[in-house]
Amino acid sequence: MFINYEHENHVYNVTVERRHNQYFIMYDNTEYTVEAEELKPGQLKIKLGDRMIKCVITEGETEKLVFVAGDVFKVKKVELTGAKKTKKKEEGDLSSPISGRIVNVKVKKGDNVKKGDILMVIEAMKMEYLIRAPYDGKVSKINFKEKDQIEIGQITVELTKK
Amino acid sequence: MFKKVLVANRGEIAVRIMKACQEMGIKTVAVYSDVDAGAPHVNMADEAVSLGDPTPSESYLNIQKIIEAAQSTGAEAIHPGYGFLAENPDFSQACIDTGIVFIGPKPKVITLMGDKIEAKKIMEKAEVPIIPGYHGIQQDTTSLIKEGKKIGFPLLVKAAAGGGGKGMRIVHSEDSLAEAIEGAKRESKSAFGDDTVFLEKYLDKPRHIEFQILADEHGNTIHLFERECSIQRRHQKIIEETPSPVMTPKLREKMGKAAVAAAEAAGYSNAGTVEFMLDGKLNFYFMEMNTRLQVEHPITEMTTGIDLAKWQLRIASGQELTLKQKDLFQRGHALECRIYAEDPQNGFLPSIGDLKRVEVPIGPNIRNDTGIETDMKVTPYYDPMLAKLIVSSENRHESIDKMIWALSHYLVLGVTTNIAFLKKVLEHSEFRKGNITTHFIDNHFKEWMVAKRKLPIDAVIALAVYDAIHTKREEIVRYKEADPHSPWKHVGRWRMGAGV
Repeated sequence: MFINYEHENHVYNVTVERRHNQYFIMYDNTEYTVEAEELKPGQLKIKLGDRMIKCVITEGETEKLVFVAGDVFKVKKVELTGAKKTKKKEEGDLSSPISGRIVNVKVKKGDNVKKGDILMVIEAMKMEYLIRAPYDGKVSKINFKEKDQIEIGQITVELTKK
Repeated sequence: MFKKVLVANRGEIAVRIMKACQEMGIKTVAVYSDVDAGAPHVNMADEAVSLGDPTPSESYLNIQKIIEAAQSTGAEAIHPGYGFLAENPDFSQACIDTGIVFIGPKPKVITLMGDKIEAKKIMEKAEVPIIPGYHGIQQDTTSLIKEGKKIGFPLLVKAAAGGGGKGMRIVHSEDSLAEAIEGAKRESKSAFGDDTVFLEKYLDKPRHIEFQILADEHGNTIHLFERECSIQRRHQKIIEETPSPVMTPKLREKMGKAAVAAAEAAGYSNAGTVEFMLDGKLNFYFMEMNTRLQVEHPITEMTTGIDLAKWQLRIASGQELTLKQKDLFQRGHALECRIYAEDPQNGFLPSIGDLKRVEVPIGPNIRNDTGIETDMKVTPYYDPMLAKLIVSSENRHESIDKMIWALSHYLVLGVTTNIAFLKKVLEHSEFRKGNITTHFIDNHFKEWMVAKRKLPIDAVIALAVYDAIHTKREEIVRYKEADPHSPWKHVGRWRMGAGV
């Protein structure tokens, strides 16, 4: 099971597999094998080697709240299955839905584009995401060039509506 | 003693007062606004009366509704808690007029102490030190300069109608006094429509030190030592402790005597607090008297073993104070942190929302005064203070260590709180040394931000485990079918619910 968590504009790629009460977690090229149980809803006791991780997780409307070692972290789950993401996006939104790298800029400043034209291609976690024109317009500004790093929420291209 | 008491408040203080009542065998009546219908203080009470509309003026500040609630339930006395109607002489008078006992001082005393200038005059007469200053009617610049020179420098020019630092100037020498007076007058005129200014000696390294008072209606007045409340943000206390790290037995005796003299001069009865400012040279000055139970009263209770809320009830019912000054002593040290629903990274602005989960730390000498619970809503209607965490120990260092531990185990999910900030203040080396003033937060935490940091590995592991437990089999299948390129296709040997 492959999950992307987003915390303060950084995406964390994690793979987790479960067998009985054992969990195999791959993160940042390291595998962690833990034993875990949910003591009460959201309250986890996790054993990593001899170390105990105590933590409480609750789900908010859009994010998960993680309480660990006295700190609270707000974490969002990001879905990279493109189709789902576009539906959620607001009409006319040209912000990047993910944090990743620009692999292709398809337009130049001053270009006229039609609704649905591809403006930019962003790669994250070895998958490509396409930024398409939400309406007919003229490219007024391009905020990134190829190989640039882009963070979630940053505006890719600015379009003047026709 | 009363048989039934109405508590005209909400949140942690209502809960705390009801506990005192119930321990003494007194029935309790809660009042609540619509948004507080399921709140802990309502669930705790023996009876509860709805006040309807959550707007404070229509609910907890509505004298008529509260008096009617007391009458309809047959409560003989009303405890106002703090805030809301606690220091409103009209409310205290309305209680008397309807034959209900107001648990607090007489309306005349509340009025007197509410008038900061009158209060200072009374204190001056009683030989309680007050900050040298000029609060007179001669408002021309020449007269003010003459008065300013008498006070000495540095001094403070303050708008009489002021607040929030508007119309306020610190003057270090005679040369700049005229300009500061005129500037303060202009600013005050435009902000408050009144250009009356006061002059006051400016205190170097000021600390806020207050003394707890108990006075009965038979002429007995005692003090229960000091509380240091210098750690403040937006002029509101967030951390309090007793004893104060600068206090000496000699100074305590002097200030304690002044506090008792102040209460006696005001004709005070019931629990109250005399607030002083203490400067870097340990000179102290009367600031004001709070005619109610203070938010930070638990630290006094933790170090003296005396239950202030119970004494309020006893005194109000006419009993004599049996505690004698010479028998009172403090043991160890106590600290209180106020848990606020607010964002320290955003100017301490109040935050609202649903409390998804609340768990308070439990351990030896840890006291939780709280009015919140899991699944409660934090609304914009009332004060954002959620709870108080109080600890006590043999000494100050142990109290700080214990408080840091307790804050690290204080779980509030769903609403931004100041818990991480409180911990940082306690961890500050100058706090540990006791080098604190009322400017502490401004001096050391002006642009404080939670350190931007990566998710710790423990959080990543916990999230992965949580999601592995909670992802349903159907969801995984749905994902797989929906998108041929989905990474779910590559999950390999992973099987949901295997072996379950």
